[in-house]
Amino acid sequence: MNAFREISSKISAVKLQNRVIALFALVMMTIPLGIGPYPISAMVDVGLYSIVTIGIILLMGFAGQISIGHAAFFGIGAYTSAILTTHYQFSPWLALFLGAALSGGIAAAIGRAMFRLHGLMLAGITLALNLVFYHLVCSMIGLTGGAMGLINIPPLILGGFNFSRSFLTYYMVWIIAIVILGFSLNLADSQVGRTLRSMNTHAGGSENAAQVLGINVNSYKVQILVLSAVYASIAGSIYAHHARVVEPGTFFIPFSVMVVIMALLGGLRSPWGAFLGAGLMIGVREFLWEVMPVFVTGVTGAYELIAYGVILILALLFLPRGLISLFGRAFTKRRATV
Amino acid sequence: MKTDSAVVKDAVTSKKVASDKLLLKVEDVSMRFGVLAVLKGVSFSVPKGNILVIIGPNGAGKSTLLKLISGLLSLQEGEIWFKQHRLSKIPPHRISSLGITQLFQDVQLFSSMSVIENVMVGCHLRTRAGFLSAGLKLPQAQADEQRILKRAMSKLSLVGLEQKAWDNPAGLSWGQQKLVGLARALATGSDLLLLDEPYSGLLADEIDKLNQLILQLQRQGMTILIVEHLTDVLMGIGNQVIVLDYGEKIAEGTPDEIQRNKRVIDAYLGSG
Ligand SMILES: Nc1ncnc2c1ncn2[C@@H]1O[C@H](COP(=O)(O)OP(=O)(O)OP(=O)(O)O)[C@@H](O)[C@H]1O
Ligand SMILES: [Mg+2]
Repeated sequence: MNAFREISSKISAVKLQNRVIALFALVMMTIPLGIGPYPISAMVDVGLYSIVTIGIILLMGFAGQISIGHAAFFGIGAYTSAILTTHYQFSPWLALFLGAALSGGIAAAIGRAMFRLHGLMLAGITLALNLVFYHLVCSMIGLTGGAMGLINIPPLILGGFNFSRSFLTYYMVWIIAIVILGFSLNLADSQVGRTLRSMNTHAGGSENAAQVLGINVNSYKVQILVLSAVYASIAGSIYAHHARVVEPGTFFIPFSVMVVIMALLGGLRSPWGAFLGAGLMIGVREFLWEVMPVFVTGVTGAYELIAYGVILILALLFLPRGLISLFGRAFTKRRATV
Repeated sequence: MKTDSAVVKDAVTSKKVASDKLLLKVEDVSMRFGVLAVLKGVSFSVPKGNILVIIGPNGAGKSTLLKLISGLLSLQEGEIWFKQHRLSKIPPHRISSLGITQLFQDVQLFSSMSVIENVMVGCHLRTRAGFLSAGLKLPQAQADEQRILKRAMSKLSLVGLEQKAWDNPAGLSWGQQKLVGLARALATGSDLLLLDEPYSGLLADEIDKLNQLILQLQRQGMTILIVEHLTDVLMGIGNQVIVLDYGEKIAEGTPDEIQRNKRVIDAYLGSG
């Protein structure tokens, strides 16, 4: 029967996706063996941005909620880790966990208050959160070091490995990124993913239709906001231990906008898009700051923002579904998994 | 419109089986949008297993009434009772879990999903897996997936569209889209089905098919509330008819009584 043939082809799509994840993991694990320390540190950035961007894709692309304040959650993770490990000698892993819990809690509080109201409310509120966070970090000097930031953050240590070397950080970041990718892909292909898409009014969903089917739309919006905040916070904590310093400027609106651009560029329909978006943007950034100056005089890095703008416009015009749409069905095909 | 005689006979016999047990009670419901009074003191009750047809011209307030019952609009005046529950102040998803669902006038299929996924979303109340178990693909989440896929497929074959399971809804005819919407609504397992103009835009044979389906659902114990302005199709199917005009209930009775009602003929049937 036709339906059964279809079902078996869905099963093979699931297997294909598992193989693609395995292949991707293998490639990412081999890369550091072939390249020097400098590209590795750029790849650490790609991994960290990807983790945040996966959350943005689930929030924006699936649930249809816009955030332009995720730098605040990234920052809450980073500062919680930095403060607890420098002032109070907490274990970095415990600090990472507490930062994620704090970010999730703040996201839940914001979500509960805001999702009763509709429209672009979340975009406005997350933007406000980002501004407030930045201001607090700058002004609570005793705790955060103010504009000077915090220094001497200890590196992450796991089983005798000291992650101060970017080689090891690379592995930790990418293992976490791939685990988060796997979790998010499972989510995307499950009833939770369908539920989120059903209420996405920007992509063929309908809140009314979802509600008469028994879906608690507000609760799902809160939960996906919390999840995306936790992702951002985990990335922020790792960032703090990797960079060993934090200062407020990192956690301001440009970061929030950057991850939204990465999500749009990579494609909102699949968590895979995050790696493409982050990879391209970091690639361009490194090219302008590090590669171009070898060939031309002048600070080409100053054209960074213009380049991002142009890339975004080109992508929206010619690849409205993002770079991911260039790839096959293993990445973008939506399935009822069996 | 040719009425299928078998359909009429079914309807007549089912009139007898309808018990007196009330499932839904609408009491003196009024609704305004700003200065516009859309419903004015509407009351009626629906026994379990009945098919209630609400007819009325454009703008009579029919869709508004359905949205008040399903909770998508909040009640301003009056009360609505469903199985001993007072529905005012209950959010729509909770009303749905009590056993009421709705097929919208414009269906509102989820266009980013295949037909079967649309119906699987309708199985939401039958799933227990949350974010964590879905993300980790725990056995519970996988069991949920299999169970609701089966259930969705059976609802889809009930409406005769299992062959279209993996199609995009946008590629279906209007009539097929309505049937998918119906399958999705049935997947909830609700006791009360609110159908907003299910016949509009259907071809003659699709109308017959839908009639058969609705009567089949009634035989299975569902209570169905149909809103329409296509009167002749419905006279055959409902065992209780209400006529709305400018937000007022101007008549209630059996299809025969309504067709003879002077006020209805003047206000609606005559001019129609
Ligand atoms: N959300 C709203 N805000 C303001 N006015 C509304 C709203 N919804 C409906 N109305 C108005 O209320 C009146 C009744 O609308 P309703 O949709 O209930 O009518 P209807 O009987 O379903 O008509 P139709 O046969 O065209 O579907 C109309 O005049 C409509 O313009
Ligand atoms: Mg209507």
